[in-house]
Amino acid sequence: MIQQFLDPAVLASISGLDLIAKTVVNGFVAGLHRSPDFGFSQEFAEYRAYNEGDDLRHVDWNVFARTDRCFLKRYRGETNTQVLVLLDTSASMSFGSHTVHKLDFARFLASSLCYMANLQRDAAGLIVFDADVVNYIPPSTRQGQIFRLLHAIEKAEVGTHTDFAAPFTHFQNFLRRKGLVIVLSDFYADPELIIKTVEPLRYKGNEVILFHILDPQEIAPKFREPMLLVDMENRAASLEVSPEYARHDYRRKIDAHIESLSSKAKSAGMDYFLMNTSRPLDEGLREYLFIRQGRM
Amino acid sequence: MGFLTPLFLGGFLAVGLPIWLHLLRKHKTTPTPFSSLMFFERREQSSIKHRRLRYLLLFALRTLLLILIALAFAQPYIQRKLLPATRASRITVLAIDNSLSMRAGGRLDQAKRMAKSEVAGLRPGERAEVLAFGSRVQLLSEITDDHAPLNGGIDAVEPSDARTSYAELVRSLRSIAQAAKQPLEVHLYSDMQQSGMPSNFNDLRVSADVRMELHPIDARPEPNFTVENVVAPRRVYDNKKARVLATIAGFDNQKSMRRVSLVLNQREIESKTVEVPENGRATVEFVSLEPPFGPNRGEVRIDSADALPNDDHFYFSVEHVEPRHVLFVHENGNTRGLFYFQNALESSGKSAFVIDPATVDQTANIAPAKYAFVVLSDVSSLPPAFENELRGYVRNGGSVLITLGSRAVSNNRVPVADTRVEGTSYTGREGERFQTAAWLDTSHPAILKDARWDEVKFYWAIRLNPGKARVAARLSDGTPLLLDEQSGEGHILVFASTLDNVENDFPVHKCCFVPFVEQTAHYLGRLDDTQAAVFVGAFEELRDSKEKGAAVDVLDPRGERALSLEEAARAQNIQFTMAGFYDIRRPSGRNEVVAVNADRRESDLTPAPPEALNIWKSMAQGTASTNGESGEAQSKPFSLWWYVMLAVLALAVVESLLGNRHLSVDKEAA
Repeated sequence: MIQQFLDPAVLASISGLDLIAKTVVNGFVAGLHRSPDFGFSQEFAEYRAYNEGDDLRHVDWNVFARTDRCFLKRYRGETNTQVLVLLDTSASMSFGSHTVHKLDFARFLASSLCYMANLQRDAAGLIVFDADVVNYIPPSTRQGQIFRLLHAIEKAEVGTHTDFAAPFTHFQNFLRRKGLVIVLSDFYADPELIIKTVEPLRYKGNEVILFHILDPQEIAPKFREPMLLVDMENRAASLEVSPEYARHDYRRKIDAHIESLSSKAKSAGMDYFLMNTSRPLDEGLREYLFIRQGRM
Repeated sequence: MGFLTPLFLGGFLAVGLPIWLHLLRKHKTTPTPFSSLMFFERREQSSIKHRRLRYLLLFALRTLLLILIALAFAQPYIQRKLLPATRASRITVLAIDNSLSMRAGGRLDQAKRMAKSEVAGLRPGERAEVLAFGSRVQLLSEITDDHAPLNGGIDAVEPSDARTSYAELVRSLRSIAQAAKQPLEVHLYSDMQQSGMPSNFNDLRVSADVRMELHPIDARPEPNFTVENVVAPRRVYDNKKARVLATIAGFDNQKSMRRVSLVLNQREIESKTVEVPENGRATVEFVSLEPPFGPNRGEVRIDSADALPNDDHFYFSVEHVEPRHVLFVHENGNTRGLFYFQNALESSGKSAFVIDPATVDQTANIAPAKYAFVVLSDVSSLPPAFENELRGYVRNGGSVLITLGSRAVSNNRVPVADTRVEGTSYTGREGERFQTAAWLDTSHPAILKDARWDEVKFYWAIRLNPGKARVAARLSDGTPLLLDEQSGEGHILVFASTLDNVENDFPVHKCCFVPFVEQTAHYLGRLDDTQAAVFVGAFEELRDSKEKGAAVDVLDPRGERALSLEEAARAQNIQFTMAGFYDIRRPSGRNEVVAVNADRRESDLTPAPPEALNIWKSMAQGTASTNGESGEAQSKPFSLWWYVMLAVLALAVVESLLGNRHLSVDKEAA
């Protein structure tokens, strides 16, 4: 039942990213409760003496009854980090062969990640980019941050072509604190160039996760007849493609591209995750949590 | 080339479908946006061209397939020029009449000579066959161009006692023409007897590819006398002299005297001289027939001294047998029924049965199996042992007649039959309150077809539940009067009244009572209806259902076995093919002599009028072969439907294979 609500096609029918993010995260966390491997968010860490101004809700009243002194319970989940989501809105991200296109999927994923980061009281931020940085929400734990993020994600429009060099160089300046950088893109560029562009983030001690968002039609195109294809990032470029080519040569090339990007990312110490837009969102969240847990 | 149903050519419009599918639809390619073309290359164009070529092949196949289907529906044909039928391409049939009339004055020999001269005239390569016909057609050679077997076939034609049937010949010729699928030229050698012509002239119509040449035998009209018919008893039961009545007929004759003899077992018993009028008949009566016990061979013959001696004898068989016994059971002191029944049986003229009366008390030690049938005349009850014996007797094929009166009703059930008596009704004699037999089933063997029982008054009515029994007569209030119930192999006939002139006045109505008793005795005693003589071509049943597998011996008039061993064990009947006496030994061990005579229509040697023969000839001119002889090539429509359909089938297979290859691409894509 919950898995059903993580299906992108189902989520697409829900209006409002906040609701989507809640649906995804709550559903996902509810799923986690049944798993014996997780449960970090409420794990007991230590007792701390009560200071003025501390929230009385965290006072351990049992200890107070025994010792007549106030102690606060602290949990691991309360450890803060900075999460920066980089959302690619280039024209190619608007491609979709079914109900949910890649940008929508990236939006769902970004909003879910932000929502989850907010739940963890992590400082979440957002950079929307295509050929340049389109929008920037600095990471923060302030009240209302989640709404700012969701609003920015919702407002993200399809842009022009992708250029990793310009925006990445630009937003390296914004990152002053170590944290988690999540890149959501279809990475239509040379893997070498992508890694070279993203790698500097890693040098600064950031954990970098590359979510490679691809439509199933991009991974394994299924053409019944010869097709005249037009490049979405360059409308002037078009090609007539035969089903045989799409079935054999193209697949070989895209597989090589994915493989190359994955291996190069891993060798650069980054995490790479291929997201198929036809598959449930929890796979992305799981990846995030896995990395997030490693940082604590 | 033409089309039988050209309207279907409109189906060519269906060609538009593949044109739309392959050409119009294919070129309507709309640009499809794709996220990035960085993994596509220009060199795919050649692949597309190759694919288009393959599609074009499929397109061509589909178009051709639709055209051919439309063509097949239009049923194309071509006019095929046929080579003129040569004499070598047709079959000459030599049909020789071997009926009884052909025995007269060497007619058959003349026909054979004429047929042989026709064989001699056949050119090398011309094929012919020989057949003989009377009432049936007999093939005597295969279709061959070798003269030896043809002449052998002609020599093998033997005179027969059958009658001429030209209709049967024509029927066979039609079959031969149909089987050979070639024109026939038939040469008919016959005396062209008028009596052999069918009543319907259409029966002489041959198919278009049969041409008939009639060769009437050159014979002068000759007077012919014959014993046309003999009326003699089939069975004689007493030692009195039997009566034989013979009819002598003359054809084309002058008034003349003829000596007629009655011969029994090849011994002349009596002879008389009779005057036969011109083209007329005379009757001779012999009253001195006194056959010895067993089967006897009788014959009436005349000294005709004419050209056809084979019709001067008329054979008949007469058998002297002991009369069969009938057990008549009655109550002690009630002999009225016996009196009337016995008198009726004796006055019927046939003394085939002798009545053995017995009271109920005397039946205890009687075995009913030796009786032809048993009559239970208004008996109240029977000794149980005898009743059981009677039931077994009926199951094994015996028959019982039960009459019911006031005594029988006292037991409330019908003996042997065990039918329940539902009630009785008495209508007094006074005031004419009687009932009559309102309905008779004239198809029942015990009731004559023209029987009238309207005058008979029934005063005592007994109501029975018929159950499965067949109701043969009903009274005016619907009460069943005569019931016939089959039990095992035998019959129980229940007459729901008496034969004693007390409860009805049936016995005093001689006009209906005597025939009823005679018919009932005939039916229950299983007397056969065989005639003293039959004609050639008649059939005789050899065995009944119980005698399956048992051998039947049949000796023909020449003393030879008429059936092979296999036929003797299996044949259900036999057809008599020659005149004379057939000896039949049945599986039951009983010997029978069947007298067979030639059909007397053959005795009239008058030929058919020339006008009739001319019409027949003109009808059988064989249009196909006649045209062929003119030497002009004729054309015949030749249907191409099969070829078109075969092409459609082949194309459909190729289209399926080719289409499947495309579909397999699509399947993977899907």
